[in-house]
Amino acid sequence: MQLSTVLNGRQVSLDIAPDARLIDVLRNELELTGTKEGCAEGECGACTVVIDGVAVNACLVLAAQVQGKSVLTVEGLASAGHANALQRKFVELGAIQCGFCTPGMLMSATALLARNSKPSHDEIRRALAGNLCRCTGYAAIIEAVAAAADEGGSAQ
Amino acid sequence: MATAFKYVGRSYPAPDALRKASGELLYGSDLRLPGMLYARLVLSPHAHAAVGAIDTKAALSVPGVVGVYSYHDAPSTPYCRYRIVPGQAGCIDDEMLFASTARFVGDRVAAVVASSLEAASEAARLIEVVYTQLPPVFGADAALESGATRVHPGGNLVHQFDHATGEPAALPAGAVTTCTAVHTQMLHHAAIEPHTCLANFDASGKLTIYSPCQSVYGARTVVADLLGLAYNRVRVVKVPMGGSFGGKQEFILEPVTAYLAMQTGRPVSLTLDREECIRATTVRPEQRSVVRSAVRADGVLLSLEVDTLLAAGAYAGSSPDYAQAMAHKLTRLYRVGRYRHRGRVAYTNAPVAGGMRGWGAPDVATCAEIHMDQIARRLGLDPFDLRLRNLVHPGDIDPITGRSVGEARVRECLERGAEAFGWRERAAMPAGPGRIRRAVGLACGAHKNGILSGAFPDVCTMTLKMNEDGSLDLNASIHEVGAASVVTLKTIIAEELDVAPETISAREADSETSPYDFGCFGSRMTYVCGAGARALAAKLRDRLIAAAAELLQISPMILEAVNGRVRRIGVAGSDLSYPEIVRGSRMRHARDMIVTHTYKGTSNPGSYCVQFAQVEVDVLTGLTRVIRMLTAVDIGRAINRGMVEGQCRGAIQAGIGSALCEEVVLDGAGRAGTGGFKNYHLVNAADMPPVTVLLVEHDGDDGPYGAKSVGEIATVPTAAAIVNAVNRALGTAMTTLPLTPERIVAALGKVAEVAEVAEVAEVAEVGGWDASCS
Repeated sequence: MQLSTVLNGRQVSLDIAPDARLIDVLRNELELTGTKEGCAEGECGACTVVIDGVAVNACLVLAAQVQGKSVLTVEGLASAGHANALQRKFVELGAIQCGFCTPGMLMSATALLARNSKPSHDEIRRALAGNLCRCTGYAAIIEAVAAAADEGGSAQ
Repeated sequence: MATAFKYVGRSYPAPDALRKASGELLYGSDLRLPGMLYARLVLSPHAHAAVGAIDTKAALSVPGVVGVYSYHDAPSTPYCRYRIVPGQAGCIDDEMLFASTARFVGDRVAAVVASSLEAASEAARLIEVVYTQLPPVFGADAALESGATRVHPGGNLVHQFDHATGEPAALPAGAVTTCTAVHTQMLHHAAIEPHTCLANFDASGKLTIYSPCQSVYGARTVVADLLGLAYNRVRVVKVPMGGSFGGKQEFILEPVTAYLAMQTGRPVSLTLDREECIRATTVRPEQRSVVRSAVRADGVLLSLEVDTLLAAGAYAGSSPDYAQAMAHKLTRLYRVGRYRHRGRVAYTNAPVAGGMRGWGAPDVATCAEIHMDQIARRLGLDPFDLRLRNLVHPGDIDPITGRSVGEARVRECLERGAEAFGWRERAAMPAGPGRIRRAVGLACGAHKNGILSGAFPDVCTMTLKMNEDGSLDLNASIHEVGAASVVTLKTIIAEELDVAPETISAREADSETSPYDFGCFGSRMTYVCGAGARALAAKLRDRLIAAAAELLQISPMILEAVNGRVRRIGVAGSDLSYPEIVRGSRMRHARDMIVTHTYKGTSNPGSYCVQFAQVEVDVLTGLTRVIRMLTAVDIGRAINRGMVEGQCRGAIQAGIGSALCEEVVLDGAGRAGTGGFKNYHLVNAADMPPVTVLLVEHDGDDGPYGAKSVGEIATVPTAAAIVNAVNRALGTAMTTLPLTPERIVAALGKVAEVAEVAEVAEVAEVGGWDASCS
């Protein structure tokens, strides 16, 4: 089937299998491998993308479900090669260790900051509850999201 | 103290952090090579079965399928996934590329290779294997009973040992003996990146393996030996790794992926799904230890005896060494006149046990520290006082190894940690009579720094080159596992040469181009490789000074290297910049500013950690929440402070899981990990308590600037501190981990009974082997 969607701000159109998962289309067809697969069951959050402003596990939705919608992946956060505030704070504040959970964390945080520009620490913790990290113990990640919010959120 | 340093002790981002945040860094499963094929494994659904005929007809008819492989085609040479160096003692060759007898649910039976993952997956489902089921054996105790099903033809006892130091002595009047049996569970490492490997066998006969591994030279050893290739025909490239925690230390996917690449002559990519990762890689071994002690009435430890029974699962892997490692921790932690540790390791039809963060140290600390709290309760001592009375002092000799524990500051960790946590005040608070019971617990732990033991080459070789602009290239076999080791080494070199860390570039390990290193194991990265990097940088500095002296035609004795320049000692404006030296020395004297240094570990002091936990237990639901933790770590020196703190918190995230909720459970048929993370619960951001990190820094050990290990030690006491807190909150004596709500509710029903057992569990003299305190 033909899929038309706005991906990272650009209109894309491609032929997909009707039963293809969004994560597979992103990673294999569109070569956007920033979206990671950790569990294939929506438990780890490594594949989180933002669909029409909502953080969603790309392993749990079919690509066909984003027909006509707007999809944002980690590759869409930077503009003209410049990391946005959220990405910069993740780097600066030690929120990244092995980095495998990072794209998903960033996308959950992006969705949070889009709907709540000044989240409390508890709100950040709840927004990231579906994103597992085995390296950091989360504290630096939560601080990074809070710091990005202080700088005006993820909006570059 | 750290202010004396220019670069050491500050906080730096992880390597490639920007590329991780942009999504552009390619991990193993992101790599694509032209003509690449995808592999899927067929894993045994039975815990124990003979593998008979394999019908591949349907599978081979799936469009895109290139081949199906099993023991019918593949070499049956046995190998050991844990072998790092050729001829390594203690390795048992008991595993094959494909099993002819499946020994656990998840054993590799066949592999399909196809042009797409979908085709490979579909074909794997269509393969029909004729299994003849055999009776399985679960549990190390059952496996060692006479008449038990043999997992391997030689029997189920994989390994046993008996280490002792000191003599049993008559107990003085008033001495108290205590016995505790503690059971720790199988754990999944839960790196968020599933296991992955990519291999390519080219027309020249060279095999290249791209693997997120912990030792490229180890992977090379196993694969080259197994497939009959020369060591220089197997190139192993360490690729970015999405976490290991020991789960990727053994060579699980490299042999089979390499074999498939050789068979097909095309690049082959193999990535496991989460259920396969839980079932078919490695788990922290399930073990049960009986700890017996004799303690003087004032709390001084007189003797400590531990009997450990550990399940290796279906293949020996690292389990013999892992069990032995457990015997090398407690005499680093406590002064005790008599220590004896006996261990037995048994095959079972369960997932293969392997190394995991802490490597026996958390396991044995959990046992010993729950035991210590039981002693404290019996003697009416504060757990703090009991520990302080017995912990080692700096310079003590570990009687088991005969080596110094080094500048061991565990007592300082305990005292400063207790002060900062408010231990006395919090410990004095009653748990309360209501539904929510609140209490605190503490525990201590010891670990090591490197692998200096005589059994392994604790050696790393590195090369450092300075370019004409003064930038530097470090060539070393670095294995970045998520702890920013690359940055650690750069920081050390920067400090030593007095140049900015950003001027140094370093790649990760590539067995074809980077010099030998044993691997990222044994808490040796900072202590051993970091010391090697410091010596390497000092060597280059000496070379720069010598070259400058030659250029200036003066004695090197009166020169010093400061701020990226060489000058007369104390004389400003008399200098040559590093770039001037590199260019001038090459032009005029044909000298290159490149040095190679081989460093060998010289000592193995203890790393220490003391942790304090406060918990709330809901006695109605049995649910426990950790509400606050403090970790005090004797790190010697933090090189990259931010990453150290991150590792400390991550270690606690894993430790809370092992105390309360993480367990790889086998069902009656031996199936583990059904449903993946759905049934394996990790502590998430919402449940993670605030953690205070207190670093004890000092000089005195051989690590760079006094630095010692942190990644492993930081998780050693966590589970015990939490279990102790829960037992204090409830008045229970729970010793089986994890403390799930079900176990807590069950224990509440028999609080008095359990407490009584703890009270009367005295063993006057230690006789033969006992699997319990009864």
